[in-house]
Amino acid sequence: MGDHGAVRLSSPIKRRRDGRYVLRLDANARVVLANLAAQLPEALASRDPMVRRLFPPAYTADDQAAAERDYRELVDNALVNHHTHSLETVVATAEADSLSEEEFGAWLDAVGTLRLVLGTRLDVHEDMDAPDPQDPMATEYGLFVFLGELQYLMVEILTDDLPDEGRPEGAI
Amino acid sequence: MPPETAPVGDVGTIVDQATTSDRPWLVIVWNDPINLMSFVTFVLQKLFGYSKEKATTLMLDIHTKGRAVVSSGTRERAELDVYRLHEHGLWATMEQSG
Repeated sequence: MGDHGAVRLSSPIKRRRDGRYVLRLDANARVVLANLAAQLPEALASRDPMVRRLFPPAYTADDQAAAERDYRELVDNALVNHHTHSLETVVATAEADSLSEEEFGAWLDAVGTLRLVLGTRLDVHEDMDAPDPQDPMATEYGLFVFLGELQYLMVEILTDDLPDEGRPEGAI
Repeated sequence: MPPETAPVGDVGTIVDQATTSDRPWLVIVWNDPINLMSFVTFVLQKLFGYSKEKATTLMLDIHTKGRAVVSSGTRERAELDVYRLHEHGLWATMEQSG
């Protein structure tokens, strides 16, 4: 897993009193994010190999191959629809001043989805050094890092809204 | 089902089937190099209602040991949990406890 525990004086993401989320992102970052998000639905629809990380197996035992086929048949379309909806929400609200709770959740999903696709393509591993600026992958790696920082800040805000002690059904 | 309540017949087979289907299914999350630690903790809190402390312990188990059992139950319940984890991009699988 990665860790983005950098100290920050002030988060560029805030939850307003009316429950809407405000992201201080510059115009360029919004364009980049929207462009990235716009590219993925087609790859999802055609099940391009670049999105394979979004469909992990549920059953891996040799004697569960039939169960895995049934699982894929049951969930793959739902996974495609779920991520596509989130990506389309980001495209539609990329320039919005504020986001509803549902839109913010879609952004979190889309950012995570984009990280998984980019990170798989970059073959990211723990404690990896950033590629040399001349490396053809340097730009994509920069996007991957940007998405990680965004995800970190979004998770920080959303975690604040969850009870530290958990919910009753989580007590085991 | 206790063996003494099984109908007369091939008791051994009936008991075997009963114990196989009764063994709980374990939902396992595997370490992956992409998802952030804070994101994994958040997903475990959100999906299962775990406390921050429990979710953090599970996340660290995943991170250091490579995997952790995050829930268990019937096959249907485990499959639903795996699906919800897949929706959130976590590498989750399920297996019957041995």
